[in-house]
Amino acid sequence: MNESARVFPDAARRVQLMATCLCDAFYDDVARATVEVLEFLGCTVEFPDGQTCCGQPAFNGGDWPSSRRVVRHAMRAFAGDVPVVVPSASCAAMARHGALLAFENEGDQGDQGDQGDQSEIRALGRRTWELADFIVHALGVTTWPGRYEARVALHRACHARGTRSSEAMQTLLGSIAGLTIVPVGEGEQCCGFGGTFSVSFPNISSSMGALKLEHIRAARPDILVSGDMSCLMHLCGLAGKAGEPIKGLHFVQLLRDALQNNGVL
Amino acid sequence: MATQPIDQFAKRLHPDTKAAVYDGSKQGHDKRTQVLFDHFPDPDRLRRIAGEIKQHVVENLDTYLPQVEARLQAHGVTVHWAATAEAANAAVLAIMRSRGATRMVKSKTMVSEETGLGPFLEKNGIECVETDLGEFIVQIDHDQPSHIVKPIIHKNRRQIAASFERHGLGAYDDDPQTITRRARQHLRGKYLAADVGLTGANFVSAESGRLVVVTNEGNSRFCLAAPACHIAMVGIEKILPRDRDLGLFLNLLARSGTGQQLTVYTEFISGPRSPGQPDGPEEMHVIFVDNGRTDVLASSCRDILRCIRCGACLNVCPVYRQASGHAYRSVYPGPVGAVLSPLLAGEDFATLADLPRASTLCGACHEVCPVDIPIPDLLLRLRDRAKQEGVPSPGTPPMGVWALLASRPAAWRAALFGGKLINHLPVTLVPVPALRSWAGNHALPEWRGGAFRTWLKDRRTK
Amino acid sequence: MNTDRESILSRVRGALAPLPYRAALPDWEAELVVIRQARGMVDAWTLFAERLRGVNGIPLTAVADLVALLVENGWRHGYCDPALWPNLASAFPATITVETMFDRARVDDYQFGITRASLAIAETGTVVLTDTGTSRRLAALAPWVHVAVVTRDEMVIDVPQAVAALPDDPNIIWCTGPSKTADVEGILIEGVHGPGVQAVLLLD
Repeated sequence: MNESARVFPDAARRVQLMATCLCDAFYDDVARATVEVLEFLGCTVEFPDGQTCCGQPAFNGGDWPSSRRVVRHAMRAFAGDVPVVVPSASCAAMARHGALLAFENEGDQGDQGDQGDQSEIRALGRRTWELADFIVHALGVTTWPGRYEARVALHRACHARGTRSSEAMQTLLGSIAGLTIVPVGEGEQCCGFGGTFSVSFPNISSSMGALKLEHIRAARPDILVSGDMSCLMHLCGLAGKAGEPIKGLHFVQLLRDALQNNGVL
Repeated sequence: MATQPIDQFAKRLHPDTKAAVYDGSKQGHDKRTQVLFDHFPDPDRLRRIAGEIKQHVVENLDTYLPQVEARLQAHGVTVHWAATAEAANAAVLAIMRSRGATRMVKSKTMVSEETGLGPFLEKNGIECVETDLGEFIVQIDHDQPSHIVKPIIHKNRRQIAASFERHGLGAYDDDPQTITRRARQHLRGKYLAADVGLTGANFVSAESGRLVVVTNEGNSRFCLAAPACHIAMVGIEKILPRDRDLGLFLNLLARSGTGQQLTVYTEFISGPRSPGQPDGPEEMHVIFVDNGRTDVLASSCRDILRCIRCGACLNVCPVYRQASGHAYRSVYPGPVGAVLSPLLAGEDFATLADLPRASTLCGACHEVCPVDIPIPDLLLRLRDRAKQEGVPSPGTPPMGVWALLASRPAAWRAALFGGKLINHLPVTLVPVPALRSWAGNHALPEWRGGAFRTWLKDRRTK
Repeated sequence: MNTDRESILSRVRGALAPLPYRAALPDWEAELVVIRQARGMVDAWTLFAERLRGVNGIPLTAVADLVALLVENGWRHGYCDPALWPNLASAFPATITVETMFDRARVDDYQFGITRASLAIAETGTVVLTDTGTSRRLAALAPWVHVAVVTRDEMVIDVPQAVAALPDDPNIIWCTGPSKTADVEGILIEGVHGPGVQAVLLLD
């Protein structure tokens, strides 16, 4: 997707928040921090109440009919024309790329001005922004006020490949006073979650996770930070089960906490 | 919960083998990264251009195939066509019979592994000797290669030394240099006594008809210097439009596969030996092999036909590194194999339909592919196809109920709030098999469904 | 296999028929694949010698140096292309015997083979052998040592130039250093089926 086709926020900085099903079920503090941070940046955040999931779990699992059902619902829930901001690179990738693929054999081939699913999906994709990407490239924020004393290891979700989300996350965190980002060996390698992969390939999934944890521990961070709760759920879950828990935070929680530490929030 | 065959294979894999595969792959990947970025300011741009060139070829094979045939014939090459593996093998045998030939030396070519050429020829009384060192070792061991570029990445020197001793190549000695010298001596005799040399081709230029064969060992050179007849087996997709495109592809191939600028030998073969040359083939044949490629061409995954068999995707793939090549039960392992193998299997698609599932869709393969193949998208399409064809998938949770809940907001919200019960249930009683399985090796986060929505509602009403 | 030809081509056409359009062929500038280290290069031989050493090849600029190399290593018997021999013979001592005929029945008798190259590629340290220019394919391949003889004006800088210079010849080989393998545990071993020593002699 080329940058010029994306939908930028208007003067009132109105956005819709896609909280993600994981945050809806497990990580409410991440969704909260997202609202607090966006509002701090002057955004008017609307939360479409009918939202559920982006449709990715079924899509990756190969059940495209089920996925399409959920995507259609997402399109209805997020009807409108303002940017849709989501604290997850994998959900953003689903909205911007996966959904198109899921519908490639369905209905009309899009952009001829007809109301076929393809053009609506493309439109929603153009409006969808992963959170770090939105803060840095849509709102133009490149330094973060506030303070946070810690050594953090960054884990980039694989769905951020080919996007500017990871670069944006590093820009923001790298600018926080007191924060030290420690490099992690083989940082480009996948954590092993892969959605249903972690259930149908449990050995390989946990071997990949264990390898990643080994590299992370070698860097001696205080906190493992990522832009995707799915990776953190997997890595922290493995670590916890093995009796060596590791603290994991979404970067937006760190951004919010940094503001609180400075008394700004 | 039942799990996938590739996962089970990974679990049973000997730690030494896994370590050898992991280290070999990582080394290949690291060298690739270093040499590409050391030499070029924008390697990713090169990959995209190369990908467009190959996609163009794939989508215009109807024009390029007859064009290549004409160029080859103009240079005195006999061109054959083989729709199936059987036809390809039969064509090779027919050429050998026509020359009264009984001995072949073979340079590495994956197409011949697809067709099972070696065993076929042996059954028909032809001695067929693999000359690539790794393939030679695989052959004497009655083993299978586990990587498309490094066939014995899974073996260590002790295993090789034992194989050599069993094969009568000398008393046990596991020094790599000794092993290599012994192979050199032994195979030298085979080259000089052979009637036919068989190679594949990495590329075929549609402009000049040149075949390009790249090696490091010099085995293809010997196959073309000692025997009097040359047979090349080539997949129909190996074409490049113009000679000048070789400048791009040769710069990408070795760097991607082995981290070398160029392989030691790059051979450009247009025809039998020149009149004044005493060494080399007096007769040259090219067999264009389909063997399922036209099925792939007709599918939504035709992009995989861009593949130039460099092995970069294997080297970077975290799943390949854990499972090793043999886990894929087919000639092509790793990410490329996960797409190509089930498709080349034609009617037997279902037998390999689990391969596309052996991936977290991390996209590392796409990022390193010299022809920019969007492998994750192709894997996803194959998952959809497998589901549509009703291929069972052990361990994959059904998503029907999920889809229902996720398209009915009221039901979704009810599940969010009601799900708190999970916090109080022992894991073994959780009514979702996938969750129980997951909880087997993960600590579960606390269910907090509804907490965010409640907080937001409160915040908004303040 | 004429029926196979027709069936394959018809399947190809059938497979491509539904495509609304066919992917176009892009053009690309040769500049894109000239390596950093070769840009703005003036002296090709210096770059060539450096790249050749980088792949464990041996660059030589005088016949006397070639002879010294052979003597030092005890390589006392070999082959030379008869067209080249008159230029080199005077520098060779009697202790080294050179045949200008290659007998494939005695292939292991030749410790070295001296043959003609037609081109050298500076950015890769590659010498180019052609079929018409190589007196015996086996002489350039089978002996442990291969000496490729090239002249100063037969040098190009980069791979695209070398591709553009490909002559109409049935068998062109780009040789970049000695033959090698890393099949055994990833350990690099030189001298597999081809030469274990690749020397390049530059003659003016």
